[in-house]
Amino acid sequence: MSTPVAVYEPFRAGLPPLGAYLRSLWARRSFIAEFSRSELREQNYGSVFGQLWLVLNPLLLSGVYFLLIYIIGGQSDSTRYGNLTASLFLFYLVSNSLTGGVKSITAGQRLILNTAFPRIMLPISAMVIALFKFVPTLAVFFVMRTVLGLNYSWQMFWAIPVVLIALLMGLGMAILISCINVYFRDIASFLPYMTRSLLYLSPILYQASDLSDRLRSFEIANPIFYLLDAWSQVMVYAQAPDLFSLLHSLVWALAIFIIGTYFFLSRERDFAVRL
Amino acid sequence: MISLSASKSLSSTHAAHALAVSVQNVGLTYTTSIDNRPTLKARLKSLGHGKKHTRVVNALNQVNLDVHYGTVLGVIGSNGAGKSSLMRVISGIVPPSQGRVEVHGSVSTLLALGVGFNPSMTGRANVYLGGLAAGMSRAEIDQQFDAIADFSELGDAIDAPMRTYSSGMYARLAFSVAATVQPDILIVDEALSTGDAHFKEKSLNRIKELRTADRALILVSHAMATIEDVCNEVAWLHKGKLMARGNPAEVIKQYREFTNTGKSSAANEDV
Repeated sequence: MSTPVAVYEPFRAGLPPLGAYLRSLWARRSFIAEFSRSELREQNYGSVFGQLWLVLNPLLLSGVYFLLIYIIGGQSDSTRYGNLTASLFLFYLVSNSLTGGVKSITAGQRLILNTAFPRIMLPISAMVIALFKFVPTLAVFFVMRTVLGLNYSWQMFWAIPVVLIALLMGLGMAILISCINVYFRDIASFLPYMTRSLLYLSPILYQASDLSDRLRSFEIANPIFYLLDAWSQVMVYAQAPDLFSLLHSLVWALAIFIIGTYFFLSRERDFAVRL
Repeated sequence: MISLSASKSLSSTHAAHALAVSVQNVGLTYTTSIDNRPTLKARLKSLGHGKKHTRVVNALNQVNLDVHYGTVLGVIGSNGAGKSSLMRVISGIVPPSQGRVEVHGSVSTLLALGVGFNPSMTGRANVYLGGLAAGMSRAEIDQQFDAIADFSELGDAIDAPMRTYSSGMYARLAFSVAATVQPDILIVDEALSTGDAHFKEKSLNRIKELRTADRALILVSHAMATIEDVCNEVAWLHKGKLMARGNPAEVIKQYREFTNTGKSSAANEDV
């Protein structure tokens, strides 16, 4: 009697064999890319500007928030504006992963009910879409910071680890929230308020150094506060980020990713009957 | 010699009559909510009493079924008999509630047409999307693309967005993509009745081509004539239970006697 290729037994919460899971996920990498690309194109389908919206969105966004801080703060030096745009764009990488991820499982119902594939592919696509949206904003930012006359330095290569941490954070959040949404659909309605609060709690419309020490100590609970601070140090001031900021964001990103992935993988075989 | 690589390569061979799928005492129960008025008030009330407004549905009950390589198994039964549930359990989409399923080979499912398709994209882009969703590689699709496009008979429309397609065109392209995958075990659920009479016949012939000694086919259909024509074994499910299994003509006869549709020609119209 030969050994079976696959055995299906009653669902128990627990991790699937990780090696086989990762292999089948890797085998589907081109599907993830193609799926993400088509979802992204669908979002701008039928609009006059089409894919140009990928650049127009960040431009308009930074313009609107600039108006806000100019009117409220009454001042606008170039670093402040640089901080606003740089942080806003990285914030949207994380928040787009969240908003794209939340319904990735529930919207993928047809796919889930009719094909066997590693379900984690769907929140991964949400993160890939957020990344596709983030890349053009980087180009916009570099044009802006040149116009603003901000300095360049080799220290700016620190941007690479910071973006990697942000991607891990976005991925972890997408995975976690997509799974929560299967069991608690109301989370999708809460999400806009959560991301909006995160926006105001993070150093985007203000700079991290503007906060009092007491408030800053509370921000340890904000997963992206020090991530955005590190990003601003690198992208606006062209300095190396401080170690604490890097570590703080890395620990948060890892924690969210590990918890989210564990929760997701141990539950995903149950998704098909819950949709 | 039995090769049991999980790869989808065409070269994987299975001795005829080797076991492909073994379904052992499988049961599947769903819990569905039966709230008449799913309001917050009702939810809060039931929280206090610890009473759950749910109903347990026995979709499958103690099903035992072995499918060997070289077999074309037809699965019949009335609506709600558990046919689709069984297919989902075999393909690993839904875990069984009881029992065990062993699968000895790569499985491809054709449970619904156009899974993974994105209507905003062109037919061409969707061939890639659908093919990748079905587990093919990009290189395989490149290689098969012309054959898929030819089979779908879409002509120039292949480069138009799929939202401009008629439902028949949509189904034709979806079937063409799905029929190109060459798995060890192919599960087809109600996907044969696509398009017009001409295309139906064409897709039926395609399924017949897929019948080889080193492949197992499982077809779910209400079209008894098709089942009798294509399959060499039939399993009849009723309310989650396996009622009979064996020679197509005999099982279909039993099924017809059971449902009293033997005389009605309308029941056999769908090919």
